[in-house]
Amino acid sequence: MTDTRAIVVAPQRTSAGGRGPRPSRGKPASRRRTLTAYLFLAPFLLLFLTFVVGPAFFGIWMSLTNWSPFRDVQDFVGLQNYIDLFTPGTVTSADFWKSMSVTGIFILASVPFLVVVPLLVAILLNQRIRGATTFRTIFFAPYVLGVAVIGVIWGYILDTQSGILNHLMGLIGLPSNLPWTVDVPWVWVSLVGVTVWWTMGLNTIIFLAGLKGINTDLYEAASIDGAGTRHKFMNVTIPGLRPVMTFITTTTILASANMFGQSYLLTKGGPGTETRTVIMYIADQGLSQNNMAPAAAMSYVLFAALAIVSVLNFRLQRERVEKGAK
Amino acid sequence: MNKPWARRAIGASIALVIGIAASGCSASGAASGGGVTGDGEYTGPDVNVTFWHGWTGGAAPTIVPELIQKFNAEHENITVKAVPQEWGDITAKMPLAIKAGKGPDVAVLHGDDLATYAAQNLLLDAGGILDGLGYAAEDFPKGVFDKGNFRDAQYAVPWSVTPLGLYVNKTVLAKAGITEIPTDEASYTAALEALKGAGVAGEWVDGYVFTGTFEFQSLIWQFGGDMYNEDVTEATFNSEAGVKALTWMTDMVKKGYSPANVAQDGNIKALISGETAFNWNGVWQTTNTAFDDLDWVAAPVPQIGDEKAVWSSSTHWVFPENKGQDKNKTAAASVFVKWMNDNSLGWAETGELPAANSVREDPALLEQYPNLEPFMSQLEYAHYETVSPGISEANAQITLALNQALTGKKDPKAALDDAADKANQIITQNQAKYGD
Amino acid sequence: MTTVLPRRRMPANKAWAQALLYVILIALALVIVLPLAWMLITSFKTDADAVRAPFSLPNPFSIEAYETLLTSGQQPIFLWLWNSFAAATVQTVLILVTASMGAYALARLEFPGKKLVFGAIIATLLVPPVVFLIPNYLIVQNLGWLDTIWAITVPGAASAFGIFFLRQFFLGLPPEIEEAARIDGAGDFRIFSQVLIPLARPALATLAVLSFLGNWNDFLWPVYVLLSPENLTLQPGLNQLQGAYSTHFAIVMAGAVIASVPVLIIFGIAQRQIVESVAGSAVKG
Repeated sequence: MTDTRAIVVAPQRTSAGGRGPRPSRGKPASRRRTLTAYLFLAPFLLLFLTFVVGPAFFGIWMSLTNWSPFRDVQDFVGLQNYIDLFTPGTVTSADFWKSMSVTGIFILASVPFLVVVPLLVAILLNQRIRGATTFRTIFFAPYVLGVAVIGVIWGYILDTQSGILNHLMGLIGLPSNLPWTVDVPWVWVSLVGVTVWWTMGLNTIIFLAGLKGINTDLYEAASIDGAGTRHKFMNVTIPGLRPVMTFITTTTILASANMFGQSYLLTKGGPGTETRTVIMYIADQGLSQNNMAPAAAMSYVLFAALAIVSVLNFRLQRERVEKGAK
Repeated sequence: MNKPWARRAIGASIALVIGIAASGCSASGAASGGGVTGDGEYTGPDVNVTFWHGWTGGAAPTIVPELIQKFNAEHENITVKAVPQEWGDITAKMPLAIKAGKGPDVAVLHGDDLATYAAQNLLLDAGGILDGLGYAAEDFPKGVFDKGNFRDAQYAVPWSVTPLGLYVNKTVLAKAGITEIPTDEASYTAALEALKGAGVAGEWVDGYVFTGTFEFQSLIWQFGGDMYNEDVTEATFNSEAGVKALTWMTDMVKKGYSPANVAQDGNIKALISGETAFNWNGVWQTTNTAFDDLDWVAAPVPQIGDEKAVWSSSTHWVFPENKGQDKNKTAAASVFVKWMNDNSLGWAETGELPAANSVREDPALLEQYPNLEPFMSQLEYAHYETVSPGISEANAQITLALNQALTGKKDPKAALDDAADKANQIITQNQAKYGD
Repeated sequence: MTTVLPRRRMPANKAWAQALLYVILIALALVIVLPLAWMLITSFKTDADAVRAPFSLPNPFSIEAYETLLTSGQQPIFLWLWNSFAAATVQTVLILVTASMGAYALARLEFPGKKLVFGAIIATLLVPPVVFLIPNYLIVQNLGWLDTIWAITVPGAASAFGIFFLRQFFLGLPPEIEEAARIDGAGDFRIFSQVLIPLARPALATLAVLSFLGNWNDFLWPVYVLLSPENLTLQPGLNQLQGAYSTHFAIVMAGAVIASVPVLIIFGIAQRQIVESVAGSAVKG
């Protein structure tokens, strides 16, 4: 991308194929290869720079001002928006950290279920059974539905007074007035449960593919050594799934960290702000309450937190792999 | 030859990003200070007028298109295009859309939003059209007209008022052997007690905007309090009156008159399905078709506190000042607003009370819509929403306090105190944000 | 295949385990299916029936809810359906074209800055989308794309995942493939379009499915950038429908049915391909 002439000349040569004098080896050829590579990258990079890199820097700049689209002049305020977030007693800090902790709770509460339930289901489906494909299809089906549909269906099912779930529980003699979408801790049960119901199929089929990828010889070898079911599970299945496990935990943590629709639609963030996730709070502050600059700062604090969690997660998984290898 | 193109495109995209960032620093167009006039005539070139409103439910989806079709047929050079969406979506989208020049030419807003828009220079002065319509403050219920007044300019034309009322499922009420609709604290409590004896939780109290917050606001006014002080510099909803109001609501649950943990809309659903007898809800429910098979009646909300008071919202016409707003469109929009006002008798079909006294007090209205009577009778003591830029964010704290108190997270006083502290911070922030 | 079955013991024991297995799977399947079935059943009730008898079968069987939706000028749900399809398709095509070209360069070509470019792309995988929400809103606004299909297709087409995923696939192909083509005198573009793309068909299908689903189900972004009712997609549209008919179960459920049946049908037809490709993406990636 340094020499305009080369850019103009290069495509003629490429498209001309063998015709014309071939460029001599060395600089021009490597330059041409560079140009070709960037040409291939260009459409993506155009989008990437405009809608990912650009906004990322734009957002940082915004977070350093008192940006409002409704004012003519934006003042540079330095790190004030960040300082406010870390200073107790400011308008945003308590609410922001509350919403961060809500997202944190959701990650802690949902990720184990979103990993373990699909793992168990995948193991069941991996048995020699009839209709495995049918079951797999059914378990995956909710995942193709949008969160708005999920919100509609479960909103009516989980309604405290007129919901079908409480009605069914009443029929079998259980309490029939549980506030599934209204009060803690039930809201958490609902949010995690609905999320598992909705997305469990995705992790299930990924685990299933991982299980199928484990060399069956390993099981046979273990059997010959007289290993029991549990032993085989711990020493063959789990190590064999390790790369898949890393992928699943990482993507599931990120997905849970970005949770928005479920609590927006089912609990409205309530009771109080108990289930208002950080995404919900940032979107509300930035777009509805016209606090764009603080919202931008919040989104970067969230990013930093997620980056730390991801790095820790990678480290942890890698350590385990290394230990496993020894 | 597409390699230079790629290079230019990348360059252009970088320039674009930088340009957008830079444009934030520069002035984004001086306020034109234009206004809307309304002599009811438009003689300019053919225009399309975009109209945003939030009447998505009830009878509005049939009535609004009918009215617009009629207007378009009568006006050769004007085509109004309605864009209905949730009120909440309008709040979230409209300010930014106006800034982008993608907003409507005319819209309907609730009273509590007007100042926020006006403070952000998003609205045109509507004084002219009010003159054209011949409207003045005394042509509307007390307090409605002034909602559109901000820093000595009038930005809005009142359109409708929507007070709260008491909806009664008479079949359920009869189970407790009661035929009289309660009107005060004593009779209301007696009815609730009788219903409790019949195994019915008489009124389901919820901790959401619809309609717990409206009920709370009605009560605080009944107990002689208010949400904010006169010039809206301090939250006062944690006053003694506020605590009384919220305690009355939490006591409903404690005494077994209401189930705990009612979900949003749970109470109106329960009324329809015959599980409860009373629901404090807005006049807009009078046209809910789900009531068709019910034996129901609406009444003024009972007087629980020391004086009569009830919450009401109001809706208003506004003329957005889009980036590059076409003057012809605004002129045509004002013709539309005048026409709608002249033809607003049928508006009650949507379950809203026309704001203009002349229309609302026309006997023909009640003849056609007798259910509106109890709502009309409350207007003399109705209180409307607080006006101040950015106030809705502070108002959200009230709902939060309700929700926390009703789910037992905090006692009423603590919940309201915490919410008031927060609301005060937001008010201070708003003063910085929207200027003074 | 029989990974964790109990060791071969007594056949009776095994049969019992097998039965238990089916019981668990069927119970789970019911948990998945019943809410969907209830949605379908409720949509065929009358308004009053749906509120008063939410737990019984439709009595009478009614298509009132669908009629209401069809005749409502304010909620043009079939237009939303079309918009959702159009948007998901456009974005999928954009992602397939840009990501396959970019991934090819990153996987099979050597050039300065490669590590930097790839690193930058991968780093953004960790960035929560909310970071881009407000800046992108303003960018889309400046491009004049608000309330158009471009707003809900182009920004989201900058798919770091697409690049990452296809690059992994291309890396897995042996270098001999290109060498043979190069000897035949093929240029980079021909190698890419006529040799690698056909080989990458399964990976592209996977990416297509994931992209389509992702766009179809996007909720937060379209709520803000789409303005006119005729331009909405199903997710924000359904949300609006719920607001408008909050006490009308049957109508909201009918809307949910209309929003889900098309994707469920597509899924039913292509389920093997979809499930396997999604699973494969993770295991290979």
